[in-house]
Amino acid sequence: MTAPLSPESALESHFVDEEQPDGGDSGPIVSKSPGQLARARFLKDKLSMVALVIVVLYVLAAISAPLLVKVGFLDPYSSNQDLLNEFQLPIGAWGGISGDHWLGVEPGIGRDVLSRVWYGISFSLAISLTATVIAVLIGVTLGIVSGASGGWVDAIIGRAIDLTLAFPQTLMLLALSTVAIAFITEVLGVPAGPPAQSLYVVVVLGLFGWTGVARIVRGQVLSLREREFVAASQMMGASKFRLYFKEILPNLWAPILVTFTLIMPAFVSAEAALAFLNVSIRPPTPTLGNVLSDSLKFAENDPVYFFVPAILIAAIVVSFNLLGDGLRDALDPKGHR
Amino acid sequence: MGMKLRRTVASTAASVLGLTLLAACGGGSDDDSGNNGSGNAAVAGEKGGTLKVLQHFPYEAADPQRIYYGVQLAWYRRLIYRGLLAFPMSEDGEVATTPVPDLATDTGTSSEGGKVWEFTLKDGVKWEDGSDITCEDVQYGTSRVFANDLITGGPNYTLSYIDVEDYPGPYKATPEQQAAYEEAVSCDGQTITFRFNKPWADFPQAVAGMMMTDPYKEEFDEGAKSQWKVLSNGPYKVEGGEWSKNQGATLVRNENYDPATDDPEALRLALPDQIDYQIDPSDTAGELFNDRLIQDAADVKNAITTARVAPTQFPQITGPVEDRYLNVLSPYTQYLSPNFNSEVMQDVNVRRALAMSLNLNGYVKALGGEVAAAPAETIVAPDVAGSTENPAFAEDNNNDGDPDGARALLEEAGVQTPVEISLAYPTSPTADKAMAVVQEGWNAAGFDVTLEPQGDTYYDVISRPDDEFDVTWGGWGADWPSAMTVIPPLFDSRPNFSPTTCGQNYGCYQSDEFEALVDEAANASDVDAQVESLVEADAKLGEDVAYIPLDVSKFNWLYGSQVTGFTTTAASSSYPEIGLIGVQQ
Repeated sequence: MTAPLSPESALESHFVDEEQPDGGDSGPIVSKSPGQLARARFLKDKLSMVALVIVVLYVLAAISAPLLVKVGFLDPYSSNQDLLNEFQLPIGAWGGISGDHWLGVEPGIGRDVLSRVWYGISFSLAISLTATVIAVLIGVTLGIVSGASGGWVDAIIGRAIDLTLAFPQTLMLLALSTVAIAFITEVLGVPAGPPAQSLYVVVVLGLFGWTGVARIVRGQVLSLREREFVAASQMMGASKFRLYFKEILPNLWAPILVTFTLIMPAFVSAEAALAFLNVSIRPPTPTLGNVLSDSLKFAENDPVYFFVPAILIAAIVVSFNLLGDGLRDALDPKGHR
Repeated sequence: MGMKLRRTVASTAASVLGLTLLAACGGGSDDDSGNNGSGNAAVAGEKGGTLKVLQHFPYEAADPQRIYYGVQLAWYRRLIYRGLLAFPMSEDGEVATTPVPDLATDTGTSSEGGKVWEFTLKDGVKWEDGSDITCEDVQYGTSRVFANDLITGGPNYTLSYIDVEDYPGPYKATPEQQAAYEEAVSCDGQTITFRFNKPWADFPQAVAGMMMTDPYKEEFDEGAKSQWKVLSNGPYKVEGGEWSKNQGATLVRNENYDPATDDPEALRLALPDQIDYQIDPSDTAGELFNDRLIQDAADVKNAITTARVAPTQFPQITGPVEDRYLNVLSPYTQYLSPNFNSEVMQDVNVRRALAMSLNLNGYVKALGGEVAAAPAETIVAPDVAGSTENPAFAEDNNNDGDPDGARALLEEAGVQTPVEISLAYPTSPTADKAMAVVQEGWNAAGFDVTLEPQGDTYYDVISRPDDEFDVTWGGWGADWPSAMTVIPPLFDSRPNFSPTTCGQNYGCYQSDEFEALVDEAANASDVDAQVESLVEADAKLGEDVAYIPLDVSKFNWLYGSQVTGFTTTAASSSYPEIGLIGVQQ
C-alpha cells in the first residue's frame, strides 16, 4: 500500500461534489483527482495566473540572458560616455531612452540599463533560487526529523530554530563577509569575485532561511503521523526512515511548494538589501540589487534609472508572493476563508 | 598623516574616491579656469557682523599639538592659534605656499646645512589672558608632541628630527631628559633654536602648516584633559574657553590680540565680529547644508560650510546660485600602483602598457566630470613644491588611452595575451563605475581585468606584501606643500617595509637609484636643491611606472549671499579661506 498522492485525498474527497460546475446539470458527474481540483481552482484565480505569467517571464529572462549576452544582443559592460551630458547624466528625456537603449543608459558611465537589469535578473534569480533550495532542503529534513522523533531531538531542533531566529543575521553577514569570502577563496578554492561572493550569500541566506519551513513541516508531520495510512505502514513493519521519507514526505509537497514560493521573493529582496551593504555580487557584474543600490543616488536627477530596478524587484517579489498565496488557496482551500 | 588619511579614505566608502577631509596643509590650488563666477569674492569686505560656519564633522581635538585635519589647521591658524610662521592668504599658489613670519620676526635662519634653525619671537604678542608669548611657550609646546601617550592624534614629524633621545615629553621626563631636550630646543631670550639630527630643509613649511611647534602655555596645560581647551592668541577667542566637540563654539573678538604685531592683509583680516560654528556630524548633514545654501535660506545667508557640494546637487547650481559657487582643484591626488610582487608586473613594458591604455578621460567623467576631478600627470598635487608633469605620463598625453600602442608594448614584453590582472579599490557606487571604465580600456589593450572592490579595511589589505592584487588604487594629500611629504612616504621602501606590510608603499616598490635621490633631497640644505632632487626622483618613478597618476580631486563650494571675500587658497587646503571672509551688513 502506498500513500495517497495528496494530503487532502483520503479524507477530503467530498470536495468532488462541491466543486462540480453549476450543480452539474449539463452532464454526468465526473470524478476528479485532488490534483485536478487544485489546478482547476488555480486556473480560475486570475491574479495568480497573472503572477504566474510574470514569474515565467522572469525565469525565461534569467535563462536567456547569458545567451543573449554571448550573442551580443545584450551588452551590460560597454560604456557609452558620449551619451552623457556635463553632469554625467543621460542626454535626452526619460533617462536617455532610445532605439539602441530601450531603458536608457546608466549615469556616469553610460552602460545599457536594459542589458544590466536583464543580465542582473539572471544572477539575482540564480542566487535566490539556490538559497531557497538550500533553505527548503534543510528545513524539510530537520522538520521531518523533529516531528518524527519527538522527545529530546525535537527539543534540540526547536531550540536551534529559536537560536537561528534570534541571530542578528544581517549584522553577522556584514561582519563576517570579508573573513568568510577570504575563507571561501583561499581554503575552498572558489575563484575570487562573483563566484565567491555569490556562494557566500547563497550559503548564508540558506543557513538562516530554513526555520519557517522546518516549523511548518514539523507541524504537518505531527498531524500526518496520526493518519491511518501511516499506522498501517507502521503495522506492516516499515522502518522509521521509510515511514517518514517515503510515506509522509510525499504528502508534504503542497506546503513545501507554497513555502518555496514565499521564501524565494524574500531572498530576492534580501539580495537587494545585501547588495546595498556591499555583500552580494559586486559591480561591474550586475544583479538587481547592485543596480538598485547604484540607482538610489539618482532619484532626483534620473528618475527613470531610479525606478527601473526598483520596479523590477517589486514586480518579482509581488508576483512570487501572489503565486504563493494562489497556490496555497488552490491546494488547501480549507486553510483560509 | 598617512595612517589618518588612509583610515578616512577607507571608512568613507560611500564618498567619492579619495575625497577626504583630512590633513594636507597647503597643496590645493586656485584653478583660474575653474573659478566659475567668484561672485562677491572681489567685494572688499567690511568689519562686523556674524559669520556662520556649517560643519559636517566634529574635530578630534582643539589642542594645537593634537590637530591634524587640514581645514582645521588652516582655519585655527587664521582665527585662534598663530604660529611662528604662517602661509599667506593668496590666490597665487606659489605665494600661498611660501611661509611668512607670524609670531616670529622672520622666516627663520638655518645653519649647519639645515640642521639648526633659529626663530626670534616678536615683541608684544600676547595670549588671550594678557600674558606675553615667550620663547619658553614655544619650547614647551614643541615638547608636548613627544608625550604621544597623552597628546595623541597630531602630526609627529618633529620626533624623528629633534636631536634628543628617549625623551618622553614634559610630563614624565626626568630632569636629565628635560635638560637634554632643552638643549636640543633651546631658548635664549626671545630666540628659539631647534637642533636636528639631520637636515630639514622644508622645516619652515612644516612650522607654518602644522602646529607641532606652536607655543603652549605651561600653566594652562592639563595634559590629555586639555583636549578641548583653547587659549587663543589670534584675533578671536572661544567663548567659555572650551571647544565643544559636537556643538562647536562661538568665537568672539580677543581684546588682547594686537593687529600691529600681525600682518592682517597677508594672514588674517578677521572681518566678522563673531563666528558661530554649527556642527552636525550626521551622514546627510553635508547635503542638507548645501541644499539650504542652494536655496539661500534666511538662516544661511551669512554662512559658509565645510561640506562640499554633492555631485547629485551639481545640476541645481545654475543661474543666481552659480554666483555663490566655486569649483577648485584640491590638494588630493589619486593614483594606481602596480604591485611589484606580482609576477606579471615585473616587466616594465607591461606596466607601461597599463599607463598607455588607461582611459583617463573616461575615468574622470565617471567620477562626475570636470567639476569633480581633473586628470593628473604626476602624483604631486599642483601648488606643492616639486609638482611638475612627470615626463613618463605627460609624454603620451593621450588621456583617452591608446590600446593599440599598449598592445604593441605587450607584444614587446613577450607575454601571452590576454594578460590576467586584478585591480583593487575601495568600493563606492562612483568608484565602481570609474573602475569599470578603466577595466574596459585595459581589456581593449589585451589585458583581462578582474575588479576587486574592497570594503573598510582597504588600506590594510593592499599594504600586505603579497601578490593578491596586481594593481591597487591609492589617494594622497601632502602634509605641507613639499613633495618631501609625498614621494618618500609613498615610495621609499625603508620607512615603509616590514615583514608583514609594505606600509604606504602599496606597490612594494624598491629601487636603490630612487632611494639615493630621496636621500639627496632629505639631505639638501635648501628647498630649491631639495625640490630638484625630488623632481628627479618623481621622474625615476615614472620611468619605472611605480605609479600611474589618475586625477586631482576638485572641491565644489557654496556660500550664503551675504558672505564676502569668498575664495580658496593653497594655504587653506582648497577649503574656504576663512581669513578673507566677511559678512555684508
